[in-house]
Parts: sequence; C-alpha cells; structure tokens
Amino acid sequence: MESATQQSCLQCVERSDRLFCDLPPEALKAFDVLKLTTLCPRGTVLFREGSQPRGIFVLCHGRARVTVCSQAGRRLTVWIAAPGEVLGLSACLAGSPHEVSAELLDSTQVAMVKRRDLMQFLHNHREACLHVVSLLSRDLHHAYDRVRAVGMGKNRHSRSIRIQ
Amino acid sequence: MLSPYGLDIIESCLTCKTRTERLFCDLPGAALQAFENIKYATAYPKGAVLFVEGQAPRGIFVLCKGRVKMSICATDGKTLIVKIAEPGEVLGLSATVSGKPYELTAETIDPCQVNFVKRDDFLHFLKSHSDACFKVAEQLSEKYNNACHEVRALGLSHSAGEKLAKLLLEWTSKNGEAAKQEPRLRLALTHEEIAQMIGTSRETVTRLFADLRKRQIVQAKGSTLVIRNKTALKLIASNN
Repeated sequence: MESATQQSCLQCVERSDRLFCDLPPEALKAFDVLKLTTLCPRGTVLFREGSQPRGIFVLCHGRARVTVCSQAGRRLTVWIAAPGEVLGLSACLAGSPHEVSAELLDSTQVAMVKRRDLMQFLHNHREACLHVVSLLSRDLHHAYDRVRAVGMGKNRHSRSIRIQ
Repeated sequence: MLSPYGLDIIESCLTCKTRTERLFCDLPGAALQAFENIKYATAYPKGAVLFVEGQAPRGIFVLCKGRVKMSICATDGKTLIVKIAEPGEVLGLSATVSGKPYELTAETIDPCQVNFVKRDDFLHFLKSHSDACFKVAEQLSEKYNNACHEVRALGLSHSAGEKLAKLLLEWTSKNGEAAKQEPRLRLALTHEEIAQMIGTSRETVTRLFADLRKRQIVQAKGSTLVIRNKTALKLIASNN
C-alpha cells in the first residue's frame, strides 16, 4: 500500500528512531529546506553504478535494493536498504561515480538533497556530519559482512548470492 | 631520528611534509594542533598486528609510512585480504566510530610508522572539529566504495583466472602503467598473499601465473612482472 507523502521532516513521527534523521532542531530545519520530497513507484532506479553522484536519497518509507553489476550484466545484491537509510552518500562525499546501483523495492517517499547543498549543509552542521560518519561506519560494516559472505563462502549457494 | 626499523620517524604532524597530499592529514591549523596533542607516534616492524578482527575497538591508527595488510578470516582459518592500506590511510575507523568490534585484522607488511589515537580522544576530537569530521566521512566513503568494489570482484567473477587478471590490471592502473604498451609491476606480495586477495589457493595462483607465462601474456623478471599482452589479459578479465 502506498503511504501518504510526509512533506516536512519536522512533523515526522519516525524521525527519532532513525540514525540520520534524528538531527538537532536547527540542523533539521536547514535539512527540511534543502530536501525535495517525491513519491516514487516500485522499480524506480535512484542511481546507477558508474554514474556521477547528483545527491543523496533518504528513504522515508519502503526498501531499496543496492546492487553491483558485472560487465556481462549479472547483478549481485550488496544489501537491502530499510526506511531511514541514506543512499548515495559515499559517492557524494568521495566525489566519485556511484559504486553501486539503487532500485526501489516498494513504492515509497524519497527525500533528495543535491550534492552541493549536502556538502554545504555538512560543513555548517557538525552534528549532521557526525551522523553521516556514524551512518558510513554502519554501511562499511554491512559491506565488509558482504565481502566475508561472498569471499569466504565455499560454494555459490552458501554465499547467498542473488544474481539476476 | 632513525628508528630500529630504518624508518625516518616523523615526530610531529605539524612539520610533516607529506601531510598536504593526504586526505585525512591535511587538516586546518587548530584541528591539526589538537590531533597532534592526542596522537602517539609508534614504529612497528614488518609482521606486527595492529588489531585483530572481533577485538573491541581501542582507537584509530593513522598509517604514516609503510603498508598494512587488511584481512578477514573464516572460522576454518582461511584468510581473505580485503585491501593493502597505503600511507595516509586511517585504520580501524568504522569500528572506532561505531563502537562495534574491528571488522578486519591489520598486519604490517613493511616496517611502519603509525600514529595511534585512543577511541575516547578521537570521538571527542571529531565532536570538536567539524573539518576533521568531514575528512573522516570522506575516508569512510572511500573505504565503502572499495568494499563494494571487492564484493563485485569476488562475487561476480567466474573464475580465479578472471580475478587474477583483474587484480593485475588494477595494479597497473594504480602504478600509472596502464597506458603503456607493456606495463611493469613489482610484485610485492607472495603467491600466498595474492591468493588471499582473490579468494583462492596458493597452488591455483602459481598454476595461473605459469599458464600466463606459457601463453606469453606475462613475463617474470625477478620480482618484476611485465605484461606482454595487455589485450589478452583484458580478455581474460572480461571473462571472454
């Protein structure tokens, strides 16, 4: 079922449970001004591997599949992002092309912030920058778990690889 | 000052000449001074273990000189090298920030100079210096991108041959040799370590190198590897 669009982060009831969104009032207000909220249908590709980062995408509801792709077009799921996750963060901060693709698994509301605005926002709001550091640390733990599963599995089945 | 390991130790970050070239170290004046006050400069010989996977995070290790092998280990003892860390990298960052156990094991493969910062001091430092916080975010982003690259290389390659060819091509582009007709590589790792980088056995790596030499795709000259047929190597890497 599609959820109704929650336009303002200031009134979001789920905000306090989410690592990135639980910002202090001043930072939250600034973020609310910068973000563009859209309701995206299931299957929407937020960004593709190899493309230049335009900005970050905060999943307000629903899930997204984060994948890597081989030259032959085979896909491998790195992880499934849950509500509250921020997608495209590492590429935006590193200023390098996206290492992964992100596709919505549900019809959901997404808040987008342009890269230039995000960089300025992080420079101005130390707490937000700390939240981003915590988020990236968690993402990195996920990624290393995946490296372990893929690299250490004895066979394709045990690696739980999802190839399409 | 020369240390027992033949390293020219940089005692102070304030006078370090390579600081400006390094992502984390290039901090503004006040942050650099604060970092200088909380860091401990230490020298390690080759083969020293800085931290072990599963260990509670004690703090971060800024690699000033030398290289460090970052690996994960399976319960059966099988090791996978995730990355060879180069000078300027901050090790143990995500565990120190999150408070979760270290995800990787860090072992020096050269004599190294490392600046250690205790976890509490580092977290306090990040809260006080937004520039440093931003640089940490950039470092974490790079590490995340590298981990995704590793997932792709390990999970989407068909064979050990394909993984080895990809690794050799990656090294040539890192060394700035990619544009050359016959790129050269100094193989600083053993066959065992290369095997651990691509998730295969030492025997398979030795066999693959023998095969590449037989097909005149590569030629070994001491510890230097010359890629004689780049096109053929690329073909193996693309699984064709």
